Amino acid sequence: MIRFENVDKWYGSTQALAGVSGVVGRGEVKVLVGPSGCGKSTLIRTVTRLEAIQGGRVLVDGVDVGSRSVSINRLRQRVGFVFQAYNLFPHLSAIGNITLGLTKLRKMGKWEARERALAELARVGLAEKAEAMPGKLSGGQRQRVAIARSLAMDPEIMLFDEPTSALDPEMVGEVLAVMKQLAASGMTMICVTHEMGFAREVADEIWFMERGAVTERGKPADLINSPRHPRLQGFLSTISRAPK
Amino acid sequence: MLEILQDNWLLFLVGQYPHGPIGGLTMTLFMATTALAFCFPFAIALALARLSRYRWLSSAATAIVHTVRGLPLIMFIFWTYFFSPLVIGRAVGGVETLIIALVVYEAAYLSEIIRAGIEGLPKGQFEAAAALGLGYWTTTFKIVLPQALHNMLPSMVSQFVSTIKETSLGYVISAHEVTFAASQVNNVLLTQPFEVYAILALTYFVLCFALTSLARYIERRISAGRVVATPVVTVAA
Repeated sequence: MIRFENVDKWYGSTQALAGVSGVVGRGEVKVLVGPSGCGKSTLIRTVTRLEAIQGGRVLVDGVDVGSRSVSINRLRQRVGFVFQAYNLFPHLSAIGNITLGLTKLRKMGKWEARERALAELARVGLAEKAEAMPGKLSGGQRQRVAIARSLAMDPEIMLFDEPTSALDPEMVGEVLAVMKQLAASGMTMICVTHEMGFAREVADEIWFMERGAVTERGKPADLINSPRHPRLQGFLSTISRAPK
Repeated sequence: MLEILQDNWLLFLVGQYPHGPIGGLTMTLFMATTALAFCFPFAIALALARLSRYRWLSSAATAIVHTVRGLPLIMFIFWTYFFSPLVIGRAVGGVETLIIALVVYEAAYLSEIIRAGIEGLPKGQFEAAAALGLGYWTTTFKIVLPQALHNMLPSMVSQFVSTIKETSLGYVISAHEVTFAASQVNNVLLTQPFEVYAILALTYFVLCFALTSLARYIERRISAGRVVATPVVTVAA
């Protein structure tokens, strides 16, 4: 479903991605871990061309994302993206955030869009907050609205860029619960996260990245219990010790 | 001073109306409001053009803005006054002239305010719109402009204040606004210019001060209202 082929990405003279290759199959959940600045967020951002790449290819369903002939907005409608900072539109209510894409891109009528948006809000447990402005919602609620906004577009792939890192600890659980439910429903997902409990439970595979490259990958149990790479051992012990 | 006001308050307020053209403070406000309203679409277009990723478009818009900002308003008034009859083949009244000149002039300034408002939005707003697959126009008109204009409301009120003061230049081309009314009163009384122009000054001041206070109030409301961090950028008019 998603195929990275020797992806290179440069920010000026620093290399953010160095020859990353890998495959994410339909219905698979991959979790990306690694120290900050290792390129894991950059990697998932290349999937919808939020970041342009300088070398290699990113393919979604066999289609080269970087190709000029690709209608990028059409592709983005099929790939949901959840940001660390939620990025809700603050001037629109929770439901307004969701219906915008439905009316403008899916060309739904106002009432059909509202119905669909309400269903998505119910799915993330926020039906009663439909009319609330983002400013009045807690961090966890905002992130769940953001997830509902992406899901409303019926994506085939969901990308999560550290969706719980900006949250207070007591709100992490509610967001992870939504993501677990999504994984169980068979959604193809790539998640950048430090939540190793989540990774252990839902990931088909964990990719450990450092300095722009995937240096180790494996089943969660193997990788977490018996990391081969000394730097992965070091990384795992830092995040388990880090105050949450 | 009170006596002058008692005798001439109607002239200050509406000019010679209903026995002559409408003027005075009413015309001042009408011209400022109309100019700002008409320049709005141009200002938005200029701001979008300046931020365009097409070089030729942004360079052209930048050149226009810099040219207009580098010239005094009175130049625009004279140009409009002397050139528009040549273009349209008939004389143009003072009021129309001033409004046209103000539209051109204010569009450049307002476009800079709008541009600052757009650039002040968090990058995440553009990314979220892009990630959803929204196109340029939907992003601009449904996400970017509503927030940018809302955040820039205080600066726009300040710009309105500047415009009100700038309408006084209409005096030189006999646009019947409040400064013109004051000079008429002065011409009748002849001996009390200090009092007459003190009344004029006070009129401008009360109006502009009230509006500036309104701008401050709106600014407080905006920064209190948006818990989701959107920086409020104020541009000096």
